[in-house]
Amino acid sequence: MIIERILIFLLFIIGFAAIVAMPNIIKKIFGLNLMNAAVVLLFILEGSRIGDQAPILGDGVKHIVDPIPQALMLTAIVIGVCISALALALAVRLYKATGSLDINVITKRLESEH
Amino acid sequence: MKALTRMKIMLTILILGLAVLPVLLSDTPWPVQARDYLFETAKSDTGADNTVSAIYLGYRAMDTLGETLVLLVSITGTMSILINLGRNKVDEESIGFSLEPEKLPRHSLRTNLIEVVASKLGPIVLLFGLYVMLYGHISPGGGFQGGVIVASGIVFLALGTELKTKLTNTIVLSRIESLSFLFLVLASISGVFFESGFFGNPVKSLQNISPNFIILLNIIIGMKVGTSIAVMCIAMMGGSHDH
Repeated sequence: MIIERILIFLLFIIGFAAIVAMPNIIKKIFGLNLMNAAVVLLFILEGSRIGDQAPILGDGVKHIVDPIPQALMLTAIVIGVCISALALALAVRLYKATGSLDINVITKRLESEH
Repeated sequence: MKALTRMKIMLTILILGLAVLPVLLSDTPWPVQARDYLFETAKSDTGADNTVSAIYLGYRAMDTLGETLVLLVSITGTMSILINLGRNKVDEESIGFSLEPEKLPRHSLRTNLIEVVASKLGPIVLLFGLYVMLYGHISPGGGFQGGVIVASGIVFLALGTELKTKLTNTIVLSRIESLSFLFLVLASISGVFFESGFFGNPVKSLQNISPNFIILLNIIIGMKVGTSIAVMCIAMMGGSHDH
């Protein structure tokens, strides 16, 4: 139980480290995706602790997992897709404008234009 | 300078780790009241066997409307950014994945293998997506999941060039998307005229509620999600090539 949490925690930290430390904006966007995935996994995992069957009612179904985190994470996944699509489009736009994906180079070139 | 930046990064990550650590160490048991309530009443309240569908299309359908709105805003932003970029012919030639003999101007970013496999896989994936979409109320799946599978089917069709279809045309897809959003709004206010409120089931007066309304919402949301994600993917691949 604690091992899964530690792995999810590491995934979250790796995503955050990619956002903070990587100069490449594509890697930053994928770091954001990793953090999103870590949160989704945490909710699904914790919600599944109180049951052992899929939350679909029927004959012989007794101990279903909590369906609320699953419904919430459905929303979170769709929003995550939207965010990464928008961010990738912005990255393409920045690359066309400045010719680089490195955040330091982009800042320098945008400053030199003014 | 370099060492200072690295120190700052390490410090930031450490602070975030400390902030998230209580989540890792907490041993509060997960509450069971909501699960038990849904287990008892989800079927009789909404008519859906799948309690996840019962939540996001029955109890909390308002959230789903907001979510599709977010999707609409995001695709509007993405398309407005990508539409003005245009494509560089030299770029297409130099970064194409194809081997030298199969390099054709219209096949940029494609190989013969992708074309042959993708255009044959597309219809099957579309069919599976429709199945997941239509049976969302009694089995794992639903509008969002089925919609994403439909979107991947459309992307497969767009990757392969054997099949001539209007389904990979971004204008047609955008029209389907707008229409399905209109239908979603119409379906959401249809309950008002039958005394069951906003997003209420219009056929509530019967003894046991039929899942027809959930199926209808699943189909509408599936069309919406499928077409919007397909439009975004096709726009990122450089627009539809077959016109």
